[in-house]
Amino acid sequence: MALAVEIPDRVDPYLDIDEYEPEADLMVLNLGPQHPSTHGVFHVKLFLDGEIIIKAVPYAGYLHRGVEKLCEKLMFTQITPIVDKNDYVSPMMNEQAINMAFEALLGVEVPRRARYVRTIEAELQRIASHLLWLGTFGMDLGGALGGGATIFMHCFRERESILDLFEEVTGCRFHYNTHTIGGNRHDITPGWADHVKQALDVIDQRIPEYESLMTGNRIFVERTRGVGVLKAELAMELGITGPMLRAAGVSHDLRRHAPYHAYDEIKVKVQTEKAGDSLARTLVRIREMSESSRIVRELIDNVPEGPICGHKPIKIATQERAQSGQAYACLESPRGELGTYVIGGGANKGASPYRLKIRPPSLHAVSCLPYVLPGHTVSDAVTILGSTDPIIGEVDR
Amino acid sequence: MGYFLDSLRSLGTSMRNAFRPPTTVQFPKEKRERAERYRSSFALLHDSEGDELCVGCLQCARICPSQVITVIAEKKESPVTGKRRGYAKDFVLDLNACIVCELCVQVCPTDAIVMTRVAETPGYSREALCLTMDRLYENETEKPATWATASLLMAMQDPKRGQPDAKAAKKAARAEAKADKPTTEGRTG
Amino acid sequence: MKALAGISGFGGALLHGAVYGILIVTVLMTVTAWSIWFERKFSGRMQSRLGPTLVGPAGLLQPLADALKLLQKESIVPASADKALFRLAPPLTVLFALGTAAVIPFSPKVIAADLDVGVLYLLALSGLMVFPVWIAGWASNNKYSLLGGMRAVAQGISYEVPLVLAAMVPVVLSGSMKLSEIVRFQRHHGWFIAWPPGPGLLAFVLFFMASLAEANRIPFDIPEAESELVAGVTTEYTGMEFGLFYLSEYLHTLIVSAVAAALFFGGWDGPFAPGLFWMVLKTLLLFGSIFWIRWTLLRFRSDQLMVICWKYLVPGGLVLVMAAAVWVQFITPNQTATGMAPAAPSAVPAQPLFHEEVP
Repeated sequence: MALAVEIPDRVDPYLDIDEYEPEADLMVLNLGPQHPSTHGVFHVKLFLDGEIIIKAVPYAGYLHRGVEKLCEKLMFTQITPIVDKNDYVSPMMNEQAINMAFEALLGVEVPRRARYVRTIEAELQRIASHLLWLGTFGMDLGGALGGGATIFMHCFRERESILDLFEEVTGCRFHYNTHTIGGNRHDITPGWADHVKQALDVIDQRIPEYESLMTGNRIFVERTRGVGVLKAELAMELGITGPMLRAAGVSHDLRRHAPYHAYDEIKVKVQTEKAGDSLARTLVRIREMSESSRIVRELIDNVPEGPICGHKPIKIATQERAQSGQAYACLESPRGELGTYVIGGGANKGASPYRLKIRPPSLHAVSCLPYVLPGHTVSDAVTILGSTDPIIGEVDR
Repeated sequence: MGYFLDSLRSLGTSMRNAFRPPTTVQFPKEKRERAERYRSSFALLHDSEGDELCVGCLQCARICPSQVITVIAEKKESPVTGKRRGYAKDFVLDLNACIVCELCVQVCPTDAIVMTRVAETPGYSREALCLTMDRLYENETEKPATWATASLLMAMQDPKRGQPDAKAAKKAARAEAKADKPTTEGRTG
Repeated sequence: MKALAGISGFGGALLHGAVYGILIVTVLMTVTAWSIWFERKFSGRMQSRLGPTLVGPAGLLQPLADALKLLQKESIVPASADKALFRLAPPLTVLFALGTAAVIPFSPKVIAADLDVGVLYLLALSGLMVFPVWIAGWASNNKYSLLGGMRAVAQGISYEVPLVLAAMVPVVLSGSMKLSEIVRFQRHHGWFIAWPPGPGLLAFVLFFMASLAEANRIPFDIPEAESELVAGVTTEYTGMEFGLFYLSEYLHTLIVSAVAAALFFGGWDGPFAPGLFWMVLKTLLLFGSIFWIRWTLLRFRSDQLMVICWKYLVPGGLVLVMAAAVWVQFITPNQTATGMAPAAPSAVPAQPLFHEEVP
């Protein structure tokens, strides 16, 4: 199809649109920030020729809340519930990442029981996050008043059972503040293991149903095959990790290659696909759900006895002080490598960090949009944006 | 042709789901059973003799990440024991900005503040969600308290818990016993 | 009614059409309104939840609540929109949708205007339904609406071709465009869905798919793809104008189910019960299955829609029409509908457009 502007093989996102072709009469369409399916307040300016995207410019920052700056004023004991809200869909990951960094900074060791409980909670949170993603992706493709809504409701129904499990342990369904420096604040209850296994039985049974509604349906496959192909080299250049990288063929998973928590005691099967398109990412995430379910089942009956926290519990706000030092800790969140970099020696005589930097996986994921979107239609733009699984709270902090 | 067969399979899945019982609950006519540890609103407690437990130490106000607690402390004679001790002259907790993190409960040295187990109902104004001292003491009897108190949390997070250490076991047992004391009066559920 | 039937000629036909027309329109609007209730309950059950339950017993008065809500909202016309066209589009959609209801044979006696060219009239009005959507897309002065309107036009005019071809199969098989004749033919010779085996069923599938595309229903609802184009063509509409768009969509769907029931499932044919009952039952079953499809399947992308239409449905339609012609000419050459001359064009006497019913 003859386009007004030739799209090169390797798009240069910094090239101004006027330098492409000044006479090209391209229509500018703003996808967002108010849009039913940009997964948050995200703005992508699309330059269209008819329905084909010639250039895409993403604008982030609509949800910037100054979390990192705020944390320079808060003390180590207070920071966990605040960074809960970065990746607001998988709060366990945020809490664990931040506490791992603080533990590295302060030289605190986490007892074995806490490591097991953290692993189980992280894997359950991964299942919940992927369920949410699957539901919203279905809504993007199928319509909020239509087939998409059905898959959305089904996924959320299963997710509710996981949130009920978390409610039993921590007291909150969402944004738990259950992690602390040195371990967890809430220990698992005696009957929890049975409830977990019941919930996982239901989820394992329902995953084939999701497949029949999504990946087993040829409409979905045709909508996502070949759409938004992300090559492995580009992904690695941009720092993309997680299911997006694994769908491009690179077998890289922090749970396997840089184990933390209890992952060094079990073997995690890394799910990869070759194609790198939206279909591949969907398959990778659905398989990761099954894999997480398997990991939880392996761990839940073997949680060792012992303390759940290896450090003094929080009694006063200025309890933890770090006069100097820096630490970086990262873990595998459902979106990729979630890292926290903390430099000690801040305000309140060292009770606050000097600088807290969070490395959000979604920021790198949406940075692939200027490279991947050109050449696709507007419908594909929504598909691709959905398949990158962005959480704007994390992108903007 | 593949479209038809796949579509028929999807249609079968959704129709099969139509015959399962719905998982939703007709709120607010029916309410869901909440977990034992579910936390939502707040209550201030009295001890078994009727004296206010809060000593006005301001630890909860200091630890709150959202700074929603405002406490004005004073020292006065206890109406129950006659001894002079600290009290909270005024205690305001703004639920509008509370992030339900339970840190205030954790740091309280006297188990004075606890959370309640009933899902908080919405209010019609911001003032309705700003809990003053009377309402906090009202919640002591009005709403069922949740499991977590400071002593229980500290005992749970004790690094020496679960270790084969008699001294720590005794200490944990004493902490649990002390935590159980104020529950006899003024706490429902 | 007997007195009315007694008035012959143009005046009589006009009166007959008016009375039945008003009756049919009222009933259709009511059924459309309650189809909203049915849809919400049915989709709720498919999603493990209840639908509306508070308004009226089991939520039965929900459509009333929705209608009242829309009526009391302000109809905002954007400042830079083309005001005349903007206001024109919603009533036009309802008009065309209702116009097609005139020729549907609900029972041997209940039919507003039994035109000789009933099928042609239906297809013509279906084709006209593209216009109001296009006008709305243009007049809104909004890029999302424009995109939606362009897609609607492309989809609408493309899918008319398989629609016409699929509708031709019953016409060829029964030898008449008059819908009541088609139904009577099926009564005597078997429903087209089952006999002749093959072309009838495939023609129904084609007709169904093409009608879904014409009515902008999932899986063909790109023009109002909510997740991509906010609300597509209807983005800038508020209040009752928005309500009219949705009403016309449901109405079109209902009428398409009625037409499919008449063309392929034998219309009011059925044992033990009056014809009206069977017609209503078949219509509602088809209507329900359209909802079932809507709430299960994902939508096609624009270019995939076009590929399906031009590469699969149009050749398929042509083959089916040929198959039907072969059937009629060679396999069952002596079958005709009752009351109709054999298939020699010159022997058909010229009939006036309006004439009395033949029972």
